Amino acid sequence: MGNVVLRAGALLLLPLLGSCGKGDWQLSEARKNVVMIEVTAQTWDYRLPWNPGTVSSARGAGFVIDGNRILTNAHVVSGARYITVQREADPRKYPAKVLHVAHDCDLALVQVQDSEFLKGTSVLPIGEIPELESVVSVYGFPIGGDRLSVTRGVVSRIDYNSYTHSGRESHLAIQIDAAINPGNSGGPVMQADKVVGVAFQGFRGDVAQNVGYMIPTPVIRRFLKDVEDGHYDHYVDIAIRWMPLENPAMRQYYHRPNDGLGVVVTDIFSEGSADGVLQKGDVLLSIDGHSIESDGSVRLDGQPVQLEEIVERKFAGDTVDLDVWRNQALEKRKITLRPAEMFSMYENLYEEPPRYVLYGGLVFQPLTANLMAVLVGSADLRLRQTYTLFGQDQIYRETPEPVILSSVLPDRSNVYLVGLAGQVVREINGRRIRTLADVLPALESGGDRTVIRFEGDQRPAVLKKSEVDQVMPRIMTQYGISEAHRTDLGGRRLAKGSWKKEGEGK
Amino acid sequence: MRRMWVLILVWGFLASLGVGEDDSRGSLVRVRASIQAYDQFRPWQKKSPFGLNGTGVVLPGGKVLATAALVANRTEVGLEKPGSAEKCAAEVEAIDYEANLALLQPTDRNFLKGFSGVVLGPALRAGDKTEVWQLERNGEMLRSQAEILSAGVGRYPSDEAGFLVYGVRVSLPKRDDSYTLPLMKDGQLAGMMMGYDRDSQEGTAIPVPMIEHFLKDAADGKYEGFPTLGVSWSPLRDPNLREEVLAPKSGGGLLLTRVNPRGTAGRAGLREGDVLLSVDGYKLDEDGNYRDPLYGPTAVGNLIRTKPTVGSPARFRISRNGKEMDLNGSYDRKARDEVAIPTLQFDTAPKYLVVGGLVFQELTGTYLQEWGEKWSERAPQRLVELFTFQHEKRPNPERKVVFLSQVLPSPITLGYLQLSGLVLEKLNGREIMNLSDLAKAVDEVKAGDLVFEFRDEPGKLILQAQDLPSVSQKIGKDYGLPALRRL
Repeated sequence: MGNVVLRAGALLLLPLLGSCGKGDWQLSEARKNVVMIEVTAQTWDYRLPWNPGTVSSARGAGFVIDGNRILTNAHVVSGARYITVQREADPRKYPAKVLHVAHDCDLALVQVQDSEFLKGTSVLPIGEIPELESVVSVYGFPIGGDRLSVTRGVVSRIDYNSYTHSGRESHLAIQIDAAINPGNSGGPVMQADKVVGVAFQGFRGDVAQNVGYMIPTPVIRRFLKDVEDGHYDHYVDIAIRWMPLENPAMRQYYHRPNDGLGVVVTDIFSEGSADGVLQKGDVLLSIDGHSIESDGSVRLDGQPVQLEEIVERKFAGDTVDLDVWRNQALEKRKITLRPAEMFSMYENLYEEPPRYVLYGGLVFQPLTANLMAVLVGSADLRLRQTYTLFGQDQIYRETPEPVILSSVLPDRSNVYLVGLAGQVVREINGRRIRTLADVLPALESGGDRTVIRFEGDQRPAVLKKSEVDQVMPRIMTQYGISEAHRTDLGGRRLAKGSWKKEGEGK
Repeated sequence: MRRMWVLILVWGFLASLGVGEDDSRGSLVRVRASIQAYDQFRPWQKKSPFGLNGTGVVLPGGKVLATAALVANRTEVGLEKPGSAEKCAAEVEAIDYEANLALLQPTDRNFLKGFSGVVLGPALRAGDKTEVWQLERNGEMLRSQAEILSAGVGRYPSDEAGFLVYGVRVSLPKRDDSYTLPLMKDGQLAGMMMGYDRDSQEGTAIPVPMIEHFLKDAADGKYEGFPTLGVSWSPLRDPNLREEVLAPKSGGGLLLTRVNPRGTAGRAGLREGDVLLSVDGYKLDEDGNYRDPLYGPTAVGNLIRTKPTVGSPARFRISRNGKEMDLNGSYDRKARDEVAIPTLQFDTAPKYLVVGGLVFQELTGTYLQEWGEKWSERAPQRLVELFTFQHEKRPNPERKVVFLSQVLPSPITLGYLQLSGLVLEKLNGREIMNLSDLAKAVDEVKAGDLVFEFRDEPGKLILQAQDLPSVSQKIGKDYGLPALRRL
């Protein structure tokens, strides 16, 4: 008990104010359907990628929605090994399992098998985006006690915000002014008799007060729709960068009248949705019929939102129609949307075990947000820059997944190699290393000496294959490693990379 | 910055622990420097001034030796006689920020008349007893016993590689004028203290061989500086690595992992992958040490930087693909000096150009350091990358990095205000080599578009040339800029 859901980054949960005065019915209706979720989870240790990781328990909230499902935050159930769900009215703890988890928008669905559990529950209907300044109520099980807590707050701001659970995503989020506490995560935020959001994160520390965030219903609806086919796909991304077209000289340069409309495309990411469709210097005038203001906003339901919101609500394979001003002429362009898989390196990973290759005490791991989080204190400038510039410089075209010599497990066979930990691997036995999958075949190639070269002016690491074969059992025993490598990507996909295959392996 | 200067503050009068003796008279002088550095973020102005007080060593002939750090970014340097308040301005005759040494000349040549001066003593070794001299308020000498803990190659505050440095153990009382202090041995100069940590009571000193090199170089009035080899290297102890690079079985040598073709080694014909076996007849061991007659095993850095001077012959013996050969060249500093982005710049006014509110600067290491101790994390990452890896990527040294450092709000910079740290590549299609080049290119366009093309997103910014004269003038006035450019 007492453990709170507070796993990644600054995930505090927000308490909000109870639905204003409209009597006991809504209150009890909400209370009937809010559940406490207790999770025993396992977190992988990227320092020791072969270990099953640390076990910890945590508590969050959730609520019953249609289809005998409970909606909660992804971060409440991430890495869950055992989940129980409990209602206020029923002291029993029911085991539950995860149906779907969407780390990119921090939502998850869990289900209780035991039909007893649903007795006395109903379905909380899902509403719309609440008005600014209107009052909402937050339900959850924050620190300070074990029973349901209800707090009340005002809708302070409706804007894009980063979703810290994934670390790379920004979606619409609603800020409310109630103090938020660990344990509120996944709880419903209610207005009148409807759910208007899911409490999910807040600020930790002294920088801000009374700032909490909830996931608004467009994001919730999108998630629920996405999983209708039994599978959650990632958010799609238009994968461009644009700049407001506010400067008069710039407007003139692009031959646009001073009508306050349009943004300039400044970058198109290779392998992204707009790759091959848009060009740098295109002026985007409208998206799906919505005029784009020169600051990049569009009107949606009368509200100004960033143009990405149009894309946000779509699914892989959907299209957007753009009016594009190119070479002083209006062109119609259609973009088929897909997830930006090439940036998946920046996403915190939760479920899949860390991948690695162990070779004579040398541990190779792909560069991921998780690995960076453990290396950050010791990472040298090259490693940090490889990480920072991977997207911006489209390093993924050449190297979809940089491989790092993440550590050297000391052994008498590798005493001269210990200082090389943290280097970015460039080639092994003359073969360019572009993903972790290249490592094993490269290590097996060549003669008796294996030569590993790194980016920059570091010395190479040279090992004798016969010696490695001999010391591997010893190293694995000493360090408690059962598998020499784990390279299966699971369902994840990387950038395809646009390098030329010829000239490989010479 | 990993400096630990001898920064002993005015802590009032303590009873003097030592009494001046005759041999110390006429050897030291107080050095008062007024320091005011340029503000790299507002290159048209300087930062708040402050004073540094150190103790200079009077050399025979009446010049004064001090550390370069004491007089970096000075506006004025003055000398003061220990026993009186008699003062005299001084000129910096030679200064080397890498070696952290400066030679001062009083403007009144007679000011130090009667000072006998201090001669340079022998080089010291670990274990030698020595003294650090400080001046009391009344001009008496305070002498503290010191011991040389180590003599080896170590980091200097403004140097990228390393020089010979003494580690010194000494308990120094707090006194005025202690930013720089002499290390003395039998009344002769043994070194200049350049750093001191009060807690561990250990400090660092610039040894006499460095001072000799500096003074010799400065003697002809044309200061050239300490040579560099222009290589990166790795130890060669690992037997597997030795086998891979076909290093001699007899042992020794280090592996060159990078060779700058412009540098001393590169021009002598050394290449990446060569095993460097000896330099100027000194054999190198597998850890990169040679056997110094005085210090014993010492890092190769001392051999190639302190011993030779620019222009002196360099002799290398290498093994390439298992074949040994001799290569000859001459020492220079080109690998250090001929670079696109200068490392640290002291005393130099940063260049800038204001174009209708867009502020352009030329990138220097000094600009990056202005971002603070964590500059490599805080400064724009593209600038950090270009600077940090320039020895590896070796961009054309003639092509300076011109970048947009900030945007001052003006009617014509609407929509550009958030931009900073963007590297400029072209103006109206023309490659920009440096800031003067940009100024010229901008001046040539009297009407129509000025298309600035940047290396990174957003790629292009546009201004109208005809707007510039009036807007630039207004910006100069509104922001109180003394000038719109310094090239």
